[in-house]
Amino acid sequence: MPKCNISEGQVIDYVYGELEQTQSSDFENHLTTCHKCSRMVARYSSVLRLVDDAEDEYIPQFLVPRNLEMKLYKRLADAQPEQTSPLKRISDYFAKLILVMHEQKIASLCIFSLAVIAIAFFVGNPFRYTADLNINQINSANARIEQYRHQDIQRNLEDVLRKKHLRNTDSWDTVSHLNRVKDQAKGTDWVNIADNHLKHVHSEF
Amino acid sequence: MHESLANIMDKMIDDEMLVAQFKSGNQKAFDELMKRYERKIFGYLLRSVRIYEDAEELTLEVFFKAYRALGSWEPKAKFSTWLYTIASNLSIDYHRSKARQPVYVLEDEETIETKLVASDISSNPEKQLEDKERGELIREAVDELSAKQKTVFMLARYEGMQIKEVAETLGMAEGTVKIHLHRAIKKLQTLLRPLWENNEI
Repeated sequence: MPKCNISEGQVIDYVYGELEQTQSSDFENHLTTCHKCSRMVARYSSVLRLVDDAEDEYIPQFLVPRNLEMKLYKRLADAQPEQTSPLKRISDYFAKLILVMHEQKIASLCIFSLAVIAIAFFVGNPFRYTADLNINQINSANARIEQYRHQDIQRNLEDVLRKKHLRNTDSWDTVSHLNRVKDQAKGTDWVNIADNHLKHVHSEF
Repeated sequence: MHESLANIMDKMIDDEMLVAQFKSGNQKAFDELMKRYERKIFGYLLRSVRIYEDAEELTLEVFFKAYRALGSWEPKAKFSTWLYTIASNLSIDYHRSKARQPVYVLEDEETIETKLVASDISSNPEKQLEDKERGELIREAVDELSAKQKTVFMLARYEGMQIKEVAETLGMAEGTVKIHLHRAIKKLQTLLRPLWENNEI
């Protein structure tokens, strides 16, 4: 007789129907030759049968208690409603909110982006009009010098006209002043303006 | 055709749909769930605790807890599995609190064995004991199992659960469930020795 290396656990598994099909048929083959195992199988089977019989006759002796539903609702009514602290309520609210946002992904994304746009509009004002500055004009030193020269010419011309008007100085003085401005304004439009004024002064003579 | 159309329709609405209905405010859905499971849960708890009033009390407690928690219950497992989880936890707690009470004297293995020998039909042919009494002694042997062994044995044997489902219900690994089940069956074999020994000869 071959040596039997079947464990008691395997015998229980077989009796309980927990062995797989192939294992089960292998074990059945083994049972034909192994007296020890077949005795164990018989023993465990009869134990389970005894317990099954005892348990099967047990429950039908009893009726399920009546009015369980009514008793349950009475108990629920008697029970104190669960106390919730404000903090708990707030955290619950946010937990629910997150849950909803998690479920409604597209809707929450839309609301979120709308909120971002609204905040940006009212706080940051990203569409604010900014003057169209000529960067080259500001940055280049020569351009700036040219700008100052224009301002200087304008100021001098205004000085001449103001003096002429207020002091009513003689035309000679005005003409020489205008000529000086004309010299200063060489290469700009101011030359024409100064010329116009000169003609005007001459005509007044 | 014994089953009415209404019955068939009822069965078509599965538990998860009823749970969803209850969550959206339909109280009647819970009544239906309770109607479906009160018998099973009561039977399970009665086998577990063996005292009718206590089993009724625990059954109420199971549905009480379920009613309160159902609103926030996420259907990861079957509804029935969840109910059995609540019931199993309650019955294990019940056995623990009973074990702590000193008045409750557990019979040791020998007393059951002596009783079984005395009650066995073949050893006392003239004093034929009724099957009912023998059944009671066998159930006493089942009650000798530890709370976990008994719970595993009951779920696997009498609630028609696979090892996997038992593991899910009790939050155990499948291997642990198997170990408990093996130990339970081995212990029953030891306790019921006088009964099978005579059969074997």
